[in-house]
Amino acid sequence: MKKIITLTMILLFGTLTVQAQKSMDAFEVQVDGLGCPFCAYGLEKKFKEFKGIKKVAIDIETGDFSFLYPSEKALQMDAVIAQVEKAGYTPNDAKITRANGIIETSSGNTTVLSKESVVVSQQLFAAGQCGMCEARIEATALALPGVTTAVWNKENQQLKVSYDKSQTTIDGIQKEIAMAGHDTKAHQATSEAYKNLPACCHYERLEQ
Amino acid sequence: MRQLIYGILAISLLVGCAQEAKPLGWKYTSSIAVNGVNPIGIAAAADGLWLSDGDHFRVVKINEQGKITQSIDSLDRPMHIAYDYGELVIPQYGNDEVMIYNTNDSKHILPFIVFDQDSLDAPAGADINGNEIAIADFYNNRILYNKHNLDKDWWISFGKEGKADGDFYYPTDVQITQDALWVADAYNNRLQKFTKEGKHLLTIGEDQNMNAATGIYVSKEQVFSTDFENDRVLVFDLDGNFLQELKDDVNKPTDVLIQDGRLYIANYKSSSLSVYDWGEIEVLEEAQEEHHHEHHGEESEKS
Repeated sequence: MKKIITLTMILLFGTLTVQAQKSMDAFEVQVDGLGCPFCAYGLEKKFKEFKGIKKVAIDIETGDFSFLYPSEKALQMDAVIAQVEKAGYTPNDAKITRANGIIETSSGNTTVLSKESVVVSQQLFAAGQCGMCEARIEATALALPGVTTAVWNKENQQLKVSYDKSQTTIDGIQKEIAMAGHDTKAHQATSEAYKNLPACCHYERLEQ
Repeated sequence: MRQLIYGILAISLLVGCAQEAKPLGWKYTSSIAVNGVNPIGIAAAADGLWLSDGDHFRVVKINEQGKITQSIDSLDRPMHIAYDYGELVIPQYGNDEVMIYNTNDSKHILPFIVFDQDSLDAPAGADINGNEIAIADFYNNRILYNKHNLDKDWWISFGKEGKADGDFYYPTDVQITQDALWVADAYNNRLQKFTKEGKHLLTIGEDQNMNAATGIYVSKEQVFSTDFENDRVLVFDLDGNFLQELKDDVNKPTDVLIQDGRLYIANYKSSSLSVYDWGEIEVLEEAQEEHHHEHHGEESEKS
């Protein structure tokens, strides 16, 4: 009899543990503007206002920020983005993996290819100097309809981009990146866009 | 024979005179690994160095080999610490408290600052000097200073967000000297000097293309600034003239300290301290005239 009770207790405890683990939503946010521990801890500090937040992790180099939050509180994407902005940073992509398996994203690549699509790969210069620049340049390119991949190399400041020629152009991609604050050979960022970059992203301007 | 000796002496003298003395400066000597520690702030005690380890919620004391000899745990993101006569001041970025830890009687941890209606928001740096204490209040873009033993009626506050002289854009460190307060104005990429009444006196380093001036240290003759993103420490004289760039084995530096004539740089990223000593240095010919100086390695300029 004692064995049956013990076994039942173990099973019950195990079930409750699994349920508890499943009842957390997972949040992943790519944040623009982190560069040092002061920024990273600052973001963490502002998210402490969300009572019940768990497993907060921040990668200073890439700006990847993640945490778990009780699913019964149904924290929404808008609230997460607003909190990142309140902390003084700019959210790029955000993803929520709900406890029930449903995935929500704030943005991302929406390119749909068709029979007419002609995908080509090309390299272009995009000025930048840090992990935050990398995240912003790639996210900006990927947000353009027609762009399928974008990988920026910090060492040579080259962006390798694949895109559907029927939907966008290399000039259009460069224009968009310049609007985000990064000089390209074809288009220079405005002073305002450059000024609005986080301090750690203030690269040497191109002379054009 | 005598003529031969005189001749050799004369030639030796001429050769000696022809050799130009090398300039003096800070020269990389060695690095100390502090395994498992991502140092942010550094402070000197008689028997070791204190390092704040914000990533691991603690402050540790290390010996000359980098081995941890004492640890104060369960802190909430401790940042730029300070030490004076047995008292370790620990600003905690995560919970808006600044503590004085009495290292002579380790039982006592005294939360001493409570701003009832005027809360700190992420204290990033503090300094203590006798009866004086100063705090860099990161998100409030201001410096708090008290010279009367923490008497609550004697706090002064100065600074606001901005880019003009006297403004701050996220200050991260502060140091008290005999006649001034020095501030690492981190995201304005510069240092600033103020009177103890908060009047702006000097701005340093705006022409050096720093990228996050996260830490400051002032000796009797020099001012040091960490340039976090550019992996270097810049050295200025007290008037703000650039003297030297230190880059050897510097990796995401956050703070600087001189102890017993040696310069220690805290490297957040590489979990290490870079050690520099004062002596003759090699400089590029074109830079020699500009950077030549005769300063000596002196320890912190306290009153």
